[in-house]
Amino acid sequence: MIKLDKLTKSFTTKTGKGFKKETVLVNAVNEVSFECKPGRIFSLLGPNGAGKTTTLRMIAGIINPSSGTAIVDGIDISKGNDEVKKRIGFLTGSTGLYERLNPDETLEFFGKLYKLPKQELNDRKEYLFEKLGINEFRKKRLGQMSTGMKQKVSIARTLLHDPEVLIFDEPTSGLDVITADSIIDLIRESKQNNKTVIFSSHIMSEVDLLCDDLAIINKGSIIYNDTFENFKQEMKAENLTQEFINRVKQA
Amino acid sequence: MNELFIIIKKELTELLRDKKTIINSIVMPTLLVPILIFGMIKVTEMISKSEQEKAIKIGLVNAPQEFTYLVKQDSLNKITTYDESIDFKSLINNETIQTAIVFPHNWKTQMDSLNSAIVQVFKNGTKDNVNNRVAKLLDTYASSIKEKRMAKLQISTEKLTPFIQKDQEVSEQKELIGKRIGGFIPYLFIIALWGGCLLAAIDLVTGEKERKTIETTLSLPVSKFKVLLGKTIVASILGFIPALLNLVGLIIGLKVIDGIPDTFKLAVDEMLNFQSITMIMLLLIPFAIFLAGLIIALIASASSFKEAQSKATPILMVIILPLVLAMMPGIDFTWKTVFIPVLNIGLGVKEIMAGTIDITMYIAMLASLITFAVAAIYFSYKKFADENAILK
Repeated sequence: MIKLDKLTKSFTTKTGKGFKKETVLVNAVNEVSFECKPGRIFSLLGPNGAGKTTTLRMIAGIINPSSGTAIVDGIDISKGNDEVKKRIGFLTGSTGLYERLNPDETLEFFGKLYKLPKQELNDRKEYLFEKLGINEFRKKRLGQMSTGMKQKVSIARTLLHDPEVLIFDEPTSGLDVITADSIIDLIRESKQNNKTVIFSSHIMSEVDLLCDDLAIINKGSIIYNDTFENFKQEMKAENLTQEFINRVKQA
Repeated sequence: MNELFIIIKKELTELLRDKKTIINSIVMPTLLVPILIFGMIKVTEMISKSEQEKAIKIGLVNAPQEFTYLVKQDSLNKITTYDESIDFKSLINNETIQTAIVFPHNWKTQMDSLNSAIVQVFKNGTKDNVNNRVAKLLDTYASSIKEKRMAKLQISTEKLTPFIQKDQEVSEQKELIGKRIGGFIPYLFIIALWGGCLLAAIDLVTGEKERKTIETTLSLPVSKFKVLLGKTIVASILGFIPALLNLVGLIIGLKVIDGIPDTFKLAVDEMLNFQSITMIMLLLIPFAIFLAGLIIALIASASSFKEAQSKATPILMVIILPLVLAMMPGIDFTWKTVFIPVLNIGLGVKEIMAGTIDITMYIAMLASLITFAVAAIYFSYKKFADENAILK
């Protein structure tokens, strides 16, 4: 489970020219609160720059919140950052893989840092390689692979330690439909396995396919948070995309 | 500790699979010094050989027969005789002749009366080969006249030589050469070390941003400090290796390449023994960590390779300036200079190579470098932990 309570992130930016520079504090995420439950898929929607990635990065322990709390799988991120990271699988559309390593070495590296016992790491790696069809290119360097191949390795890397919480930051952005479909399958399967899943997107067709609960974020603040069913019932526009646009514009 | 080792192993594997790193950190440093030594020896040999074989065009005015004969003895000297002093500047500029020697018209009378005459030499100061050969001819001719005069006046050579200076070198050859060339050795190490650290640090920090893997790295269940420490250690290893290989290259170069004077070879062999190499390398370990930490701190906010390079390049000046100071006369390895980074290495290496290092001062220098290394790691951690900078 993920529970956010008034989570805020401020960044300092410098403005002005020459020596006359001013430091301005900007709230990228402002008192965001919502809850993601196990066995349900939570969609975080918002336009570019709304604060989706910052929120997900805080949940994943990549950046620290300025204020507020986030409880991930029963652990407060401010108290056990590394413990939280062990319970999370974090996947982005850009794969974020080390291009000079091969899939075998990549999973070895992650598995060791997740402190998986040697046998478990080996079994889990073989299972994922078999399931995702990675075996034929497991010794090929990632830099020489197609985006589809890389995304498969990225999925294997995310699921290696069988995390309770899965965070997907615009996971299908820039991917072709076939590769995107494998990600959608992964999200569905995670739900079936009773995992807590949160994914950010601005593609409403994906939301329609997967979503159980949703929140819309705009300019760092949550402007809507309810079940997807209620969202659809409250809809005034003809389709989801238009409804999303209208809500963002009205906020 | 285990996590740190896993990070170091992964970063090293990645870097050593990059062709640029292999060329810049391993191939180049090993071959650079032998190529430089070999190149310098061969080029010097070639230049001196070709200079010796070049003909020179000399203009003579009122030249006595003996001098003309002396000049003619070398068939490479091409003589043009002029009746009187003319515009030799133009003749030299348009390369009709390369130099002109003008004797006074009353040369014989002056010589017979044992007077000093004035011989004018028109020359272009940039033509070293021509000028040196002419100077040698005039010296030989002057010596022959001097001998004749001394014989005529019945003066023995001893009478005109009040004393003969005999130098007795008390320092060891090792100390002498160590202090003279010891100042250049740190240039080799430190520049190679800087280059290696810079390339590795940029690849490990800015490269991660460019390849969009920094987010993945930060999502690992490892503290940012360990990630940073792993990167700093790997960058310093990749700085240390070229410095070490540079030294290996120097030793191999001196052993294999012909044309180096034996006394020099022997002295350098004696200087670069196991003890001195160990002492130098021990200094370079904390210095490499210091440099890697400093570079990472400076480039932490850079989002492209180019930006990182421009941010880190000024460090080179901070390194070169103390090294230049270390070679200046009057600046010695004292308790005042022992704590100044780079300068202490420059001066300390000279003392180590000369075999005159004070061990207490050496330990103090090592301790100061370790302190600087720790401070640099702390500074780089502060920058690396800055979310504004690292996730830009």
